[in-house]
Amino acid sequence: MKQIRLAIKIVKTLVKDRIQYPGRLIMDLVAILMRCGILLILYWTVFKLNDGMINGSTFLFSAWSIFFYFSFSIMRYREISRVIMQDVQTGNVEVLFSKPISYLSYRMWWQIGSGIYSFFVITIVSTVGLMLLIGLPPTMTIGLFLPTFLLTFLLGSILSLLIYIIVGLLSFWIEDINPIFWMVDKAVMILGGSYLSVSLFPPLMYKIALYSPFGASQFVTHTVFTSWQSNWYQLVGIQLGWILALGLIVFVMFGKAKQNVSVNGG
Amino acid sequence: MMKEFSFALYAIKKNIQSSAELRTSFLLNILGMSINNTAFIILWGFFVKSVGVIGGWTVSDIIGLQGFVALCFGIVFSAGAGIRKLADDTASGAFDRFMLSPKNLLVRVATSSFSVSALGDVAFGIVCLGIYLVLIHASIIQLMLTAFLILITVIVFLSATIAVYSMSFYFTDADSVTRSLFELFLTPALFHGGAFQGTMRFIFTFIIPSLLIGTLPVEIVSHVSWQKFLFVSVLAMIWFVVSLGIFHHAIKKYESSNFMTFGS
Repeated sequence: MKQIRLAIKIVKTLVKDRIQYPGRLIMDLVAILMRCGILLILYWTVFKLNDGMINGSTFLFSAWSIFFYFSFSIMRYREISRVIMQDVQTGNVEVLFSKPISYLSYRMWWQIGSGIYSFFVITIVSTVGLMLLIGLPPTMTIGLFLPTFLLTFLLGSILSLLIYIIVGLLSFWIEDINPIFWMVDKAVMILGGSYLSVSLFPPLMYKIALYSPFGASQFVTHTVFTSWQSNWYQLVGIQLGWILALGLIVFVMFGKAKQNVSVNGG
Repeated sequence: MMKEFSFALYAIKKNIQSSAELRTSFLLNILGMSINNTAFIILWGFFVKSVGVIGGWTVSDIIGLQGFVALCFGIVFSAGAGIRKLADDTASGAFDRFMLSPKNLLVRVATSSFSVSALGDVAFGIVCLGIYLVLIHASIIQLMLTAFLILITVIVFLSATIAVYSMSFYFTDADSVTRSLFELFLTPALFHGGAFQGTMRFIFTFIIPSLLIGTLPVEIVSHVSWQKFLFVSVLAMIWFVVSLGIFHHAIKKYESSNFMTFGS
């Protein structure tokens, strides 16, 4: 109960903060317009040149898939790695460890609170805009879509946080985690279906995306395709499997990391 | 002028020496950034493989594009990473210490910080351009054009960066604004050059100079277009003069916070 109250408090405080300073919202909006907007124009041109069909997929499906990737990225789960690194480098972790809260859950809720306001505002506005501009694919209008989308979004969020927490926890042993962060981040970007839509993946790459945690964290990009209706439970199963595995790794790593910190209380 | 230049070189040398003290971190950052940049080539490579040639752009052109952009990014931010900190400096009042310095203000600000990872961009850019020139079987003229264009792209990149980060003096939440504007400039530069046709090409050439640092240089080298080369050179000079004007106008907006931060 205490944990939930703390989580709500953190999220509420950060949402209020983001409303007060709309700069972050503008930044996120510009980023999504630049990255996703130009990419969609590029895809539109490409599909037009290929008579509207590439690898058995149309522009409509690819556009929504790419949009989901960029929309998901507004949650900024990736930032948790750097926040943990900063805590370790500045010694802030020592202060947080001495407080009666769980450090990792505090940081997770902080991350969720930081991105949730921009995520909702931009996603709602962009979804309406995209709907008016290009329409909805039929796969998004069936009853199965929304519940499975929300489920995979939730699991993807947990998985993303776990992946980036593992990277962040490495800073208890490595001085600068940035090089590892970049590699993991780019693996998520490539296998998640960002610039290259999932429908355009070569077979081997598709398999890697399916069975790696990096691709699994971005399964929201798969939800628009027809295949999702028949294999959604398999994909959700893969996500659950990775959550369990990475959750265990985080648990062990965090236990060992705590032993590396000496709280001086000065 | 020479005095300022030698001061800049001295500051850069000291910055490198300071960063290289943490040897493992220094090397890991360079290597990590090089690998990180490879992701864009993988992505666009698969893209071209899946959808075919668009606007005459092949995989080798994509490699050239990433090479030009990474190299100018790396050169500017390894030598002058301080420009990126302008938003923080103005917000915290740390800009005072630059104003008190007898050196050229812009040079002093730019060389106040150093980005190790940007050296990874430099290494990556050189390798990419090398591969690109081999793949297109570059002639002597194309080699020379590439060398000149590296200089021109650095000027454009530096100008755009100065113009963007000068906005730090105009806005309260400057960090968000400058990051958005920089994103607006850099993101299109990394995209497949064949995507920019008509209005998009006009906007990202004349209003936002994104195509001047990658797409147009690649097209100049691959087609040996002297007309385009002249055009890009003139635009680079105009951007440089304009950005200096913006910077000098912007600093007049700065109000000292009277912070006693005279260090580093």
